[in-house]
Amino acid sequence: MKKSLLSGISSIVLLLPYTAMAEINISGFATIAGGRVLSGSGVEEFGLPPTFLANYPQVGVYEEEWSFKPDSRMGLQVSADLMDGLKVTGQIVARGADDFDASFEWAYISYQVNDTWTIQAGKKRLPLYYYSDFFDVGFAYLWLRPPADNYTWQIFNYTGINALFNTQLGSWDVSGNIYTGREDDRDNKLLSDFFFGAATREIWKDIIGGVVSFNRDWLDVRLTYMTYVNERFINEDGVDVQQTWNGSTERRGKFAGVSFNIDYNNIVFLSELNQLDLDGSKFDTYMVSLGYRFNSITPYISYADFDSDGEVHNTTSLGFRYDFHSSAAFKLQYDDVKDNGYDGLMVAGDSKSITFGVDLVF
Amino acid sequence: MKTMLLISSLLLPGAVHAAIAVVAHPSNQTSLTQDDLVRLYTGKMSSFPDGSSAIPVNLNDSSPLRADFDQKALGRSSSQVKAYWSKLVFTGKGTPPKEVASDSEVLSLVANNPNLIGYVSSDAVSDNVKVLLTID
Repeated sequence: MKKSLLSGISSIVLLLPYTAMAEINISGFATIAGGRVLSGSGVEEFGLPPTFLANYPQVGVYEEEWSFKPDSRMGLQVSADLMDGLKVTGQIVARGADDFDASFEWAYISYQVNDTWTIQAGKKRLPLYYYSDFFDVGFAYLWLRPPADNYTWQIFNYTGINALFNTQLGSWDVSGNIYTGREDDRDNKLLSDFFFGAATREIWKDIIGGVVSFNRDWLDVRLTYMTYVNERFINEDGVDVQQTWNGSTERRGKFAGVSFNIDYNNIVFLSELNQLDLDGSKFDTYMVSLGYRFNSITPYISYADFDSDGEVHNTTSLGFRYDFHSSAAFKLQYDDVKDNGYDGLMVAGDSKSITFGVDLVF
Repeated sequence: MKTMLLISSLLLPGAVHAAIAVVAHPSNQTSLTQDDLVRLYTGKMSSFPDGSSAIPVNLNDSSPLRADFDQKALGRSSSQVKAYWSKLVFTGKGTPPKEVASDSEVLSLVANNPNLIGYVSSDAVSDNVKVLLTID
């Protein structure tokens, strides 16, 4: 009796820690995946061998030899609860595509104002697309990776302020956020390493965006909008040269998207439709996926598409997720990429690739 | 009703058929629906329907009742529930319920704090807590 009373008290202390002692939570996620290109065209014009660009912003690239780097990553999150609604959170991510150099991807403080609103400030993921802000957490989604053709943008973090809300409208749960901030990426990986072959400083400033999600039983609808001003410097012979577009050093981007997801009687339907308008040029992306959950195994088929003036590509994917453990899933995926780019705007050519891996959370 | 029961027991062969009792402090006067329960355990609601603050307590994975609760109360497998929470945890949008290891821990916590809500096997219910809902 005494013992159970004692353990009861210690659990109460655990749940309601005393002041001055921050409760620290450590959690994490990992994906270890390997894959290779089975066949591909490459891009002769760029001297590029058969290549599958599986992750645009991180330049996760598979070639015709097995590699475990492009999609593998590990994240560690530490969160300190300072009580009375105040929290501080840091997330360190190490990616194979970056030779496992660990860096802080998230670092923010969070203050819960009331049951509806939470204000956050610091460095966060830019929540453009549905999967943008949990892109690294493979265990949280169906595929081996969110469709690469949609998740192509070179900027994926920002530093600024974010206001989150969570409320109920009748039988709908409504949640979302409004954010503002900027990102100044001195050596942008995608632009420097893959597209321009020269150190590129990419600035997205005056970012203002919002997301709202409506959720009810098996239906999830998400709307997203963001606007920003782009500036770019490309290093030429050791000098940062500011780029101009139609004579201006700045151009405005406006991003809008909608996503419908259904999870009904073991049928999983996922979709996204997005458009970026960059000073009048349109970049359209969409994807549709369909899966069916047979107990712990969910086979799926997916199609993703990118369409702009010049850059045109799509990917058809087939795969399955096997939840072999309550904290881990095995995935196998086949990707068939068609690169129909023209006027020098091809990306990596056609390719057929296979990838498998394990996602876990802890 | 009888046929329903028969079918459900046919569908779950071998499952230990103890009902799940959702428990709170004896002073708790709220009437809770299963929708409310799902909202509380998925972080979509943080107060009881009467407005007082509600803190859900979960059992951890080592307790067989946990998988039962995820499936019957929340309508998802434990790995689906974990996938749902990992999306929120790693984007700063939510924190999953605290977990304890046993029915007796749930009972002693709930008996001592009017803001807590938990669940135990229905045959473990004591007089120190109030049953808000029973899930078969």
